Amino acid sequence: MGWIRLAFFGYIGLTIAYFLTAIYSRSVRREKLEKEWDTDPAREGAPVNDRTEFITAGMLHYEKGLKKRLLWLIYIIPTLGFLATIYFVNWN
Amino acid sequence: MWTKIKWGLRIFAILIIGAFLHYTLPQRDIVQVINTYNKNTPIGANWMFYSIEDTGTGVETTSTIRDIRFIDAVYPDEKSVMVYRNEDTGWFWPPYFKWDSSTLQAEAQNLKSDKANPEWVAITHYGWRLPIFSIFPNAVSVNAVAGPDVRLIPWVNIVILSFMAFLLFMLRKMWLQFRERTIDPVLTDAGEAWDGVEARADAVAGSTKGFFGRIGAWFATWRKKP
Repeated sequence: MGWIRLAFFGYIGLTIAYFLTAIYSRSVRREKLEKEWDTDPAREGAPVNDRTEFITAGMLHYEKGLKKRLLWLIYIIPTLGFLATIYFVNWN
Repeated sequence: MWTKIKWGLRIFAILIIGAFLHYTLPQRDIVQVINTYNKNTPIGANWMFYSIEDTGTGVETTSTIRDIRFIDAVYPDEKSVMVYRNEDTGWFWPPYFKWDSSTLQAEAQNLKSDKANPEWVAITHYGWRLPIFSIFPNAVSVNAVAGPDVRLIPWVNIVILSFMAFLLFMLRKMWLQFRERTIDPVLTDAGEAWDGVEARADAVAGSTKGFFGRIGAWFATWRKKP
């Protein structure tokens, strides 16, 4: 029974970490897009709508990108660490 | 005065965390195994330094006396000794997930040697030997090494501590990003809306000092505006 309890609370903790990191990562990407638009001299004086559209498109691209998928490592790395610990402590 | 208290608390916290890590992280001793045995060990107020109840070696007795395997060892100086206990660790803390203590005891027995023909082993363990509380470090694995002078590099600790440093660094970055993007704009808005109402502006400035001040000010913006 012990391992079920550990897995349950462990994955709850990891889910919290996943969402916090996802929010952070999204925020960093949005800031990067905003800065890219704001510092481009060619876009000086462009309508606000264009800027919003540019950021929305960039965020859509991010949601489908590799970086977003790499967030799954938050679940994968601790699980692998757990399995590796069991292997090295008990079978090596 | 207040600064001194703050620094005192900080140093205290660092000491607690350091002691906790020193207890929990694995260390390796190069020793010679001189004896292995079982002993009925009474466990009382020092239960925290033994395996938790529902592990394999924890349920063998219903009373507070538990049959525990021990490994006696002597350091290369041939004078100082160490007594390791050898218990399963269970599913919680410390997260070693060790359940091969019978095998480990047999391995230790196999590597036992006498003073004339010393065989040197590296015993991986965590925990402390504190005679005043009757607590013993828990052996996790035992491996033969070439001699008493081999140099072991603590790779596991290097990886774990680097990873923890990385987590702290990321937490700090996340907090700074959250502050810059979510809290500070709200506070700036509040400051602008209250421009001219000097007393209120001062109140905002006063409440936005430090970590909790900022968090509190941010939560305050959730409340309904009067």
